[in-house]
Amino acid sequence: MTVELELRGITKRFPGVLACDRIDLTVRAGEIHCIVGENGAGKTTLMSVLYGLIQPDEGEIVVRGERTRIGSPLEAISLGLGMVHQAFKLFPTLTVTENVVFRQEPARLGIIDRKAAVGRVHHLAQAYGLSVDPRATVESLPVGVLQRVEIIKALYREASVLILDEPTAVLTPQERDRLFEVMRRLRDAGRTILFITHKLGEVMAVADRITVLRQGRAVAELDPGATTPAEISRHMTGRDVAPVRRGADEPVGDPVLSIRDLEVEGAHGLATVRGVSLDVRASEIVGIAAVAGNGQSELIEAIVGLRSVRAGHINLGDVDVTHAAVAMRRRAGLSYIPEDRHRVGTAAAATVAQNLLMGYQRSAELGGGRWLLPAVVDRHARDLCDRFSIRAPDTGAAAGTLSGGNLQRLVVAREMSHDSRLLIAEQPTRGVDIGAIAFIHNQILEAKRRGRAVLLVSAELTEIQALSSRILVMFEGRIVADLDPDAVDEAEIGLHMTGGASVGA
Amino acid sequence: MLEVYRHRASSAVTHPVTLALGAAFGLGGIIIAVTGGNPFAAFSDMLLGAFTGSGLRNTLGRSIPIVAMALAVSLAFRAGILNLGGEGQMLMGALTGTMIAITVPGPGYVVVPLALIGGALVGAAWALLSALGQTRVGVPLLITSLLLNYVARSITSYLVRFPFGEPGAAFATTSPVPPTARIPKMELLGMGRMSISLVFVLALVILLAVAYRRTVVGYESEMIGLSGPFSRYGGVNVERHTVAIMAAAGAIGGLVGTHLVTGETYRYIDADMIAQTGFAWTGLMVALLAFNRPLPILAAGILFAGLQIGGFAMERSSGVSWQLAQVIQALVIVALVSRFVVTWKRTGSDGDAPSEANTDPAHVGSV
Repeated sequence: MTVELELRGITKRFPGVLACDRIDLTVRAGEIHCIVGENGAGKTTLMSVLYGLIQPDEGEIVVRGERTRIGSPLEAISLGLGMVHQAFKLFPTLTVTENVVFRQEPARLGIIDRKAAVGRVHHLAQAYGLSVDPRATVESLPVGVLQRVEIIKALYREASVLILDEPTAVLTPQERDRLFEVMRRLRDAGRTILFITHKLGEVMAVADRITVLRQGRAVAELDPGATTPAEISRHMTGRDVAPVRRGADEPVGDPVLSIRDLEVEGAHGLATVRGVSLDVRASEIVGIAAVAGNGQSELIEAIVGLRSVRAGHINLGDVDVTHAAVAMRRRAGLSYIPEDRHRVGTAAAATVAQNLLMGYQRSAELGGGRWLLPAVVDRHARDLCDRFSIRAPDTGAAAGTLSGGNLQRLVVAREMSHDSRLLIAEQPTRGVDIGAIAFIHNQILEAKRRGRAVLLVSAELTEIQALSSRILVMFEGRIVADLDPDAVDEAEIGLHMTGGASVGA
Repeated sequence: MLEVYRHRASSAVTHPVTLALGAAFGLGGIIIAVTGGNPFAAFSDMLLGAFTGSGLRNTLGRSIPIVAMALAVSLAFRAGILNLGGEGQMLMGALTGTMIAITVPGPGYVVVPLALIGGALVGAAWALLSALGQTRVGVPLLITSLLLNYVARSITSYLVRFPFGEPGAAFATTSPVPPTARIPKMELLGMGRMSISLVFVLALVILLAVAYRRTVVGYESEMIGLSGPFSRYGGVNVERHTVAIMAAAGAIGGLVGTHLVTGETYRYIDADMIAQTGFAWTGLMVALLAFNRPLPILAAGILFAGLQIGGFAMERSSGVSWQLAQVIQALVIVALVSRFVVTWKRTGSDGDAPSEANTDPAHVGSV
C-alpha cells in the first residue's frame, strides 16, 4: 500500500507544556488509522497541526510523497484533507445541500444551479450509505445526521483523507455502528480515515492500524489483530488499570430523593421534562441513560434548584424542596457534581481554596456563617488536596491553572467531602484521563457503600452499566425504561434511548 | 479577568500598575516638552504642591470623596455589578442631606448625623432603582445606573432652582447650611483644619478590607464577580447580593454628596455640585487602578487627589495648564487597560484549545 500521509518529528510547545514531542506518524492510503490517547496526550494538537490550524515548532508533513507546509485549513482542504470537528460547523437555518456546497456552489452563468447541487449531494450520500435528505433544514436534524452532513461536506470537497475527531461522543450505539459502516465503505472506496478516540472498544471494532499517544509522544504503533484492549490501555496510561467493579449490592434503604410527576420548562417554554417520577434510595446508585437533549440536563437542574419547576414535587428526605433555594437544598443534604465543571463547577480565576469552599462557606466546620478565617479555609483546602490527590501548585493558585483531571478531582473532592445524603453526579468522568476515571468511579461506589443515595447521569453507557444499581432511560422528557444493569446489554439500552424498537437511528 | 493578576507574581518594576504610571507620566512629560515647557520643573512643582505644606492638607481633603467613591465602585465591581451611577447617587444624597441640615432645628450632634443618614438613605434608594430593575425586570444595571445620572441632574437642578432655592440669589443655590449643622473639623498634625470625614473614610477602608477577606458575604460577592453560574451553583443568592451591594454603594455616594456640602462648601450650588460629581468618575479610575482592593484604593486615591491638587500648583508656578493632571490620570487608565487587552489577546490566541470545550453538548445542540 502506498503512503498517503507522513508526519515526521512534529514538535509543538505551548507555554509550560510540550504538547507534541517529535511525533512520527505514517498513514497508508485506504486504511482506517486510529489515534488513541488520554486527554492531554496531544491528539487534538497533532490533528490541528495536520489541518493547518496550528504551526508546528519543528517537524515536517509529507502528503503523497511531497513535503508541504500547511498554513491554513484552506490549504489543508486543497491537499485533500477533510476534518469533521466535534462541534459541528453548520448553518442551522440552511438546508443540507446549501451547507454542503457553501462557497463551492455549482453555478451556471453565475447563478447557483440548485438542481445540480441537490443531485450531487444526493449522489454522494447514496454512494457511501450516508442517508440524508438533501433538502432538509439543518436545525431540524438529529445530531447523528448532522455528522453525516459534515462528512458529505468533506467528501464534496474531494477529501481523500478524512479526520474524524472523537466522532462517537454524541452518538447512540446504533448511530455509532452506522458511522462505522460508513467508515468501512469509505475505506473500501479508497479513502483514508484518521479516527481520533479514547474508547478502546471502538478502536478494536474499526481500526486497521493504531497509533497510541501518551504525553505528547507516539509510544506505540499497533495492529488490532495482534493486540488487546488491555495492551492499548497500558500504552495509553503507562500502567495497568483495573476496571471498576460494582460488586454486590447492599440492601437499599429509604428513599432519599423522591420525584413525583415533575414537569420542567426548557428553552422555548416547551416542556423538556414531562411527568417524571423516580425514587433514589439510600445505598443505591440510579443511572440515567439518555442521548443529549432528552431532558436529563433540565431534570438535574430542577433537582438542584437551578431551574424552576412547572408542576410536580421534589422531596429530599421528608423536606419538600420543589421551590427551595439552592442553599436550602444543600443544607437538606444535596451535593452535586455538575456536567460543566469549567463554567458551573468552578471559577477559573478563583483560587483552589476558594473553589473548594463553595457551597460550604456557611457551614459550621468552616466558621459557622459570618466569618471566614483564611487560615481555616486554607487548611481545609490542603486537607482535601491531600485526601483526593489534587495536584495543584498551592491552594492559592488559580483553579484555571489545573488540568482537566485535577479540576474534576477538585469538584469531586468538594462535593464528596461533606456529609450529604444525596449525590448527583452528572457526566462525572467526561474528558478526564483513565487514572482519574477509576478514582472518581471508586469514590462514587464508596459513597453508595456509606449509605448515600446517588443519581448518576452519563453519556457513557459503560459507566452507567458499571456503576448503577438500576438504569432509567430517558427519551423526549420521559422515563421510558427501568432496567436491571445485569440483565441488559448496550444494544438494548441504546434501543430505549432512541425511543424503542419503532425508531431506527 | 482583572482578578487574575493577583495570582500572578510580578516584580514591582514589571507590575502593570507601575508600568501604567510610568507610561502616563512619560507621555505627560512629552506633552509638556512639546508645548514648550520643562517637564522636570513642572513635575517637581506638582509633587511639591501636592504633598508639602497646605498642599498635603488639600490633597488629603480631596482624597476623602475620591477614596470613598472608589470604595463604593469597588463594592459593586468586585461582585461584577457594573454600577456607573455614583454621580446620581451623590447628587440625590447631597441635596437630601443639605435640606435636612438647613431645615431641621436642633443641636449639631443630632442634625449632622440626621443629614448624613438622610443623604445615605436617598443615595441608596436611587441605586436600588437600578438594582431592582435588573433583578426584577431584567434591565441591565449598567444602562439604568448610567442614565439615571442624567435624571438625577435634572431633578436636583429643578429642586435647587425652584422649591429649595434661596430666594433672590443670583444663581441656583440653597441657603447656607447653618454653622451648627456642619460636619466638624479637627486639627490635623499642625497642617491646619481637616474634616473629620477623613477618619470615617479610613474606617471604611479598614472595614471593607476585613469584610472582603474575612467574611462569608465578602467571599460570596467576590465569587459572584468571578463567575455567576458557579456562585448560583454553590447556593449564593445573587439577587440578594446585588440589591444589598447597590444599596451600600448608593449609601456611600449619598454620604459623600452630603459631606461635600455640609462639610466643605456649606451651600448646595447647582453648577458646583454637578462639577463635583467628577469625583465619582475619578473614584472609578482609582478602583480600576487598585484592582478593587481597599488599601491600594487608599493609596491610589491619595495619588489621584495629589495629581489634581499638584496640577493647580504646577499651573501657578510653571504655567503648565492644570488640565495636564487630568490627562495624566486618563493616561494611567488607558495604559493599564491596554495592558489587559494585550495580555488577554495573547492568552486567548495561543495555548492548546482544551478539547473538553468541544465535547460540550451545548455547542453541538446549538447546530
